[in-house]
Amino acid sequence: MSMNVQPDLDFIKDMKRAGGDTLKKCYQCATCSVVCPLSSDDNPFPRREMILAGWGLKENLLGDANVMLCHQCGDCTTYCPRGAKPGDVLGAIRAYAYKHFGWPKGLANLASSGKNLPLLIGIPAVIIFVFWIISGGMHIPSSEDFARYGYGHFFGHWNFRLLAKNVFFIDIIMVPAFLLAVYASYRGVSAMWKLMVKSSGIDEPLYRPTVNQFIKEFLWPSIVEIVQHTRFKKCVTNADRLKGHLPLLLSFIALLFVTAYSFFVQDVLGIFYPSLHGPISMWNPVKILANIAAIALIVGIGILWGNRSRNEAEGTTTRTFYDWFLIWMIMAVGVTGLAAELFRLINVASVGYVIYYLHLVSVMMLFLYMPYTKFAHLVYRTFAMAFERYRESAYVKNPLTQ
Amino acid sequence: MDKVYGAYLCTGCGIGDVLDVDALKSTAAEAGIPMQDYPCLCGAEGRALIEKDMAEKGVNTIVVAACSPRVMQKEFDFGKNTITIRANLREQVAWIAAPVKKEGEEAAEAPAAEGVDEFLQELGQDYVRMAVVRAQKTKKPEPYIPESMNKRILVMGGGIAGLTAAREASKAGYEVTVVEKEEVLGGKAVNWRKQFPLSYPYAELEENSISRMIAEVESDPKITVKTGTEVARVSGAPGDYTATFKPTGTKGEWDAPAKVTVDEQEKIEKGEMEDPNAGLKVYTEKNPNGETFGAVVLATGWRSADVSEYEHLGYGRIKNVVTNLEFEKLAKEGKVPANVAFIQSPGGKEHDKDFPYCNSVTSMVALKQAKYVREDNPDGKAYILYQHMRTPGNMELFYKGIQSDDGIFFTKAAVTKVEEQGGGLVVEAEDTLLGENMNLNVDMVVLAAGMVPTTLDKPTVNLAYRQGPAFADLGLFDGYADSHFICFPYETRRTGVYACGGVRKAEAMDETMDDATGAALKAIQCLESVNRGVAVHPRAGDQTYPDFFFQRCTQCKRCTEECPFGAIDDDPKGTPLPNPTRCRRCGTCMGACPERIINFADYSIDMIGSMVKSIEVPDDDEEKLRIIVFVCENDAYPAIDMSGMHRNGLNKLVRFIPVRCLGSINMVWIKDAMSSGMDGALLLGCKWGDDYQCHFVKGSELANKRMENIGETLGTLGLEPERCAVKQVAISDYDKVPQMIEEFVEEIIEMGPNPFKGF
Repeated sequence: MSMNVQPDLDFIKDMKRAGGDTLKKCYQCATCSVVCPLSSDDNPFPRREMILAGWGLKENLLGDANVMLCHQCGDCTTYCPRGAKPGDVLGAIRAYAYKHFGWPKGLANLASSGKNLPLLIGIPAVIIFVFWIISGGMHIPSSEDFARYGYGHFFGHWNFRLLAKNVFFIDIIMVPAFLLAVYASYRGVSAMWKLMVKSSGIDEPLYRPTVNQFIKEFLWPSIVEIVQHTRFKKCVTNADRLKGHLPLLLSFIALLFVTAYSFFVQDVLGIFYPSLHGPISMWNPVKILANIAAIALIVGIGILWGNRSRNEAEGTTTRTFYDWFLIWMIMAVGVTGLAAELFRLINVASVGYVIYYLHLVSVMMLFLYMPYTKFAHLVYRTFAMAFERYRESAYVKNPLTQ
Repeated sequence: MDKVYGAYLCTGCGIGDVLDVDALKSTAAEAGIPMQDYPCLCGAEGRALIEKDMAEKGVNTIVVAACSPRVMQKEFDFGKNTITIRANLREQVAWIAAPVKKEGEEAAEAPAAEGVDEFLQELGQDYVRMAVVRAQKTKKPEPYIPESMNKRILVMGGGIAGLTAAREASKAGYEVTVVEKEEVLGGKAVNWRKQFPLSYPYAELEENSISRMIAEVESDPKITVKTGTEVARVSGAPGDYTATFKPTGTKGEWDAPAKVTVDEQEKIEKGEMEDPNAGLKVYTEKNPNGETFGAVVLATGWRSADVSEYEHLGYGRIKNVVTNLEFEKLAKEGKVPANVAFIQSPGGKEHDKDFPYCNSVTSMVALKQAKYVREDNPDGKAYILYQHMRTPGNMELFYKGIQSDDGIFFTKAAVTKVEEQGGGLVVEAEDTLLGENMNLNVDMVVLAAGMVPTTLDKPTVNLAYRQGPAFADLGLFDGYADSHFICFPYETRRTGVYACGGVRKAEAMDETMDDATGAALKAIQCLESVNRGVAVHPRAGDQTYPDFFFQRCTQCKRCTEECPFGAIDDDPKGTPLPNPTRCRRCGTCMGACPERIINFADYSIDMIGSMVKSIEVPDDDEEKLRIIVFVCENDAYPAIDMSGMHRNGLNKLVRFIPVRCLGSINMVWIKDAMSSGMDGALLLGCKWGDDYQCHFVKGSELANKRMENIGETLGTLGLEPERCAVKQVAISDYDKVPQMIEEFVEEIIEMGPNPFKGF
């Protein structure tokens, strides 16, 4: 079987714009595959990915799990004798893949370019602002109210005790954004999975794993590995990134727990015990965890920020909107969240409300653009790692023939 | 010159510590020249001692028994009117006192001095005797100055190489004639659309500069251009060539005659064979209407190699499969399609092999032509399918630049098939870097046909020489002129003819220009050596030349046949007609001559023979065997000196005599040695064969052949043929040479002393 090769010049141009400007420098010596701490003997990368990119063979790359398995340690880039920066090229391919798999297309394209930054900020800013006006809660509260309710009356207050007005408004903003992201991710991941299956030459599996089996055997071990940062620890050149990514990931998990706790206590238990509404006590262990997590988040993203700036200054990586947009968004979420809390504690409602508004805007951006920006690695890489386990498993490898 | 002798012994550098100085001095006196000693002869006072004798006693023939003749040459140079003979008592006597070093061992310390080593002392005395004999037998050379001398340079070929050579020679003040067979100057470059970048950053293709080069040559008053002209024959010798020109494609009586061997000549005379030179002027005849030149630059370039043998690629069968040369022309005409595959290797079953005569230039041409595809088509795609990409030197930057073009794609691949499909072409390839077999849809396929030197097809240089019109041994080197590629790149096997450009080596424009400059300078060196009567190369400056004593010549033609450089012509009877300006002074003719009538002023049969005979051969001591070793002075002799410097030790039964080339060894010397009771004879020379290292190309090979013959002669005398041997030594073999000699000596010891000893 021979493959008909039709290079896609536009794809190459896209790659070059998205940080892969060096991709054509590769001359296939395979140093990258040798030094890569993550690639395996059976599936070495990124040598082959480099030539596929250089030849503009989009279809082959979109279904290539290796592209997603790469953690961009940068070891390949450091050792590349030609300065082809394979790490950055793979990053650019991922950026392209998120855009390609993204749904709806318009939003995916929007989120992929720095030129659209005003619009990217503007959309959530306007939506939340409009809802703020509609809610009628748009006034600065008295310092007593502010001390008592915090931002609980941001969208105003009504006496329908099953659903607080504030919760209602936050939900109608955030839940659709979140659901959209979940759906878009599902679509993207399934499309990628299909392509991965096709390009790995996996025949009809002997039998399909059930959802339970899939989670238990492939997805969960991958998640455990991600949390433990097993692969990150293998990175040599960019080892400092672990110091940023680990606290960041743990803070996300902690904040997820805090949010769930707060949701359960305030919005579920709060129905029966109205006194539970309002800011959680500073001495509540959960609140302590939340504050630690918030600081960890800012510290983590700060380290990554510094790291990237340094690498860019040294020329070991290329500056791209794709990489920075996520850093900016997370930093914005962290800083506005912590600042909003601080202003609540010192009881300056006017500034606090504006910051809280910005916090909502940044959180909505994070949700809304998750599937199309670098944040998408959260799902794509996780499933690629699951796929890596899957393709080696007995489901697809007939032990009698392979 | 009336010789007044003086001999001087240096006792420094350890010589005086291990040898009996008085005994050495009396040896010299016994041999005929009284000797003085001084602790540091190379110093100012040592020199003053000799200069004083020169002034007071009129000494003009000086024997210096000290270090190797390869060192301290300035210190022991006493001017043009003197002869200095060196006896190597340091590197080859004093410094070999240590036991012979075995391979892999550290050099051992010299044994603590307990008086003088008898063997070492005898060695030193023999070297003193030989030096004295040499001083007595050598003559002051009289350089050969040609009667008529012409300094014009003939440049054959008007392409980049020829034009550059012409310009460079003209800039240096020499008159040049450029002969071009086509109607216009410029050669292949005329059809080039663009040329490779010549300067940093080596990124962009440059405008073709050939028209500028042509204009420069055409407007140069020192350069005469003859287009539409071929060289029928070049006769004569450096400094006095006569060239006959003719319109391209015609035949004439002055065409260069083909080589006719001795056997063929006999057949022709008997009428068994047709004379290939019927109707042509005899090769020795000088054309009175010819033009005279002093040296020739051969820049006749190359042709595209034939690629039709690769049937799976379809050249000649499929219309849009073209060679790189054809594509260049299409590109110049602006007919570049959008999708083009550049196939650099034939692929098929012989995956790793390139097209014949493929090289770095064809790699770079593919890069250049891929760029045309991109320049002419906004969505153009060029595929370069290679087994090897070769972009030497700064052209690596050019390669990088081309690589970064979005629409140029590289992969190592073995092309298995090219076929027509729906108006286009499909290229099938295996073993690609993409990890699977692939097929490409293209509009045109360009094959990287190599560059065949014009000398492969025809003699081209058309010399009217006894050894034929072409360069020698072309078959060994794929049609390229044998040039001793590493040591003397511009030289051919014909002194006065210097090759450059595609005829010498496939090369890109900048390299060709450097090459042509080199060849022009070499031609100038030739003119400026010939006019002073000295050798051009590799013995640059040597004033001696072979002198024939014709009364005793038997017309055996061995010298004319064996001269590696075709220096000797002959008359119809077979009497040699030497051409000293073609000669490289290797002495191969001297070694060949059975009548021993060929000699040099300072290097003769009698001189070396007398040196051999001057060695004292004890006939009553079975321990004291004597082995004569003739050593090539270009590589083997320095290797032995270096071995001495490393104190690697050396057998003390051997006696070295340096020779110009093993080819110059006349077998009479071996007979002299054996009949004077010596026990063995060894020849140390350069590697021969395809990858020869011999400075004179054929010398060591011929010596080996002659030694095989003498081995048989020894056999008939009842001597073991193994007493004579030839060994190949490279200049870097200083570590192995003592062991090599040791082994030979051990074989001789095994055989026992020469039974003729004492007769």
